[in-house]
Amino acid sequence: MSQIGPIFRSLMRNKVGALLIALQVAVTMTIIVNAIHLINARGDLISRSSGLDEDNQFYVTSVGYATDFDAPYVIDTDLDAIRKLPSVTDAVQINAIPMSNGGWSMGLQTKAGEGENSVPTALYMTDEHGLNTLDVELIAGENFKATEVSYRDRNTRDWPQSVLLTEALATSLFPDLSPTEIVGQTVYIQSNEPLTIIGIMDHLQAPWTGWTTINHAMLVPNKFDSPYSRYLVRAKPGQRDEAIAQVEQFMKQRDVGRMVRETETMTQVRMDSYRGDSALQAILWTIIVILCIITALGIVGLVSFSINRRRRQIGTRRALGAQKSDIMSYFLTENILVTSVGIFVGVAGSIALNMWLVSSFNLPRLSYIYLPIAMLTMWVIGILAVWGPALRAAQISPATATRNV
Amino acid sequence: MLVMNNITKVFRTETVETHALKQFSLTVNEGDFVAVTGPSGSGKTTFLNIAGLLESFDDGEYTLDGRSVKHLNDKQLSQLRNEKIGFIFQSFNLIPDLNLFDNVDVPLRYRKLSKAERKERIEHSLDVVGLANRMRHLPSQLSGGQQQRVAIARALAGNPLFLLADEPTGNLDSKMADSVMSLLEDINQTGTTIVMVTHDLSQAERAHRHIQVLDGQVTEQQLSKPELATVNA
Repeated sequence: MSQIGPIFRSLMRNKVGALLIALQVAVTMTIIVNAIHLINARGDLISRSSGLDEDNQFYVTSVGYATDFDAPYVIDTDLDAIRKLPSVTDAVQINAIPMSNGGWSMGLQTKAGEGENSVPTALYMTDEHGLNTLDVELIAGENFKATEVSYRDRNTRDWPQSVLLTEALATSLFPDLSPTEIVGQTVYIQSNEPLTIIGIMDHLQAPWTGWTTINHAMLVPNKFDSPYSRYLVRAKPGQRDEAIAQVEQFMKQRDVGRMVRETETMTQVRMDSYRGDSALQAILWTIIVILCIITALGIVGLVSFSINRRRRQIGTRRALGAQKSDIMSYFLTENILVTSVGIFVGVAGSIALNMWLVSSFNLPRLSYIYLPIAMLTMWVIGILAVWGPALRAAQISPATATRNV
Repeated sequence: MLVMNNITKVFRTETVETHALKQFSLTVNEGDFVAVTGPSGSGKTTFLNIAGLLESFDDGEYTLDGRSVKHLNDKQLSQLRNEKIGFIFQSFNLIPDLNLFDNVDVPLRYRKLSKAERKERIEHSLDVVGLANRMRHLPSQLSGGQQQRVAIARALAGNPLFLLADEPTGNLDSKMADSVMSLLEDINQTGTTIVMVTHDLSQAERAHRHIQVLDGQVTEQQLSKPELATVNA
């Protein structure tokens, strides 16, 4: 490090190669900081809690085809039987599967009437087994009673009087009230139809993973009278696969004029739902690795070129008393100086790019913890890249100084 | 001070063995000014490289300032070069990106001298060669003769045991060559030992001793200035 002064002055007189390396480091750092930021932001999305007992849940679809198919009868008797299977904790007919990116949404408002502000929410129809099957806890109020649950079909316009809301939805509607105070309040669906909030759920996600109000969800005590029916089943802990086999076997053996199809675990639903995000993460990681390799190779190339150009100079230094470690130290110090310039430009570039991404694409603001990590990474890449060429430079014979060709 | 006894150096390739030095013996005493001449391929550059600890040798004994150098490792050889030998190269070998001050500073930094002592030595040695007023100039801003003077200043700054000059006037016109030779003579007058490899016989005549090398061996020694020289070879 005692050579910093002369190295710096030497670099100032021979800027082009150094600037190229610094620029490459700056661009790489700018891109990898924001790419890692995006990867982590996607990771946060992917790892969000759905509120479910995903490891033990699955859904199975039943499609009635018989002309005399009696949906309410089949649904009720199916559910009674499934709930009694030894590997099953609970089961429910549900109109939409969380994270499946398909479902119902409605608007709720605290005042009746057209034109009042409404808050969007996902709508799940279940019976009184919904909370237990979904593994959702009530933090205030009470569950539906079996007597409140009714069947509806696609022509039904009325809504049941009771409703359960997630805490996020409830506090969005009544920001000044506690969950306990919200229980008993009235909200309006379809502008004028009143619903009484009888309970507040801790957490349940809407089906759409990209939705900005993903934590807004409500349960209504309805079952759907349709030949097409989805059962969400919660198995006993660790018994999901047995439960799938038992449920499928039961449903297929039952001769009620229906087909059983599309059994999918919630783990698979999550993977399918976030496949695009996972792919983006993989692509960004690939870009980061490629960029780091290109930068390292760029440094290797330019340093090797610089060393070849200075073989006589290195030999002269060795002749004048430089030890091999002095030559190593010279090139490592030179590289650290150049890399540092690139890194500090890269810090500014990272922040600027993030500001543009935030303003243009509404992405989250950069966490500044990435900057020191990226700086350290770029220094390490720089040192590793220059290590080999510097080692070769240190092997240059001092006798090179006296060679005239 | 510098004693070589029966030094042998062989360069080997897959098919050819070249005996660059054969039983080469030479002694240089303190205060000597020795010129080594010989045709191309005679072994004088190999002698210079071995004398300057730039290259190893195969056989024989080389003692520098009373210390055998045969079994020294690279680090010890580097230290010995730095402390005992001042090099002057035919192509000056100044570092083009550094100014004169920093160029003269190069060997001193490797000796890890204090900043103040380095500064004093650099200014003094540049003053000796008459370039103290140009120490912030780059080598490219100087003539060839001036660049060689800077190289001499760099060699002197470390207070070496002796100066080892490799064709110091080889890249200079006759006027500049004469000026550099005069400077070397002045330096020798102050007691600094000089060993100079050259193929210019007229320059060699200005040394105290003139050694001729042929086929890797000393073939002839002449006392150019016998009143000043001591021959021990």
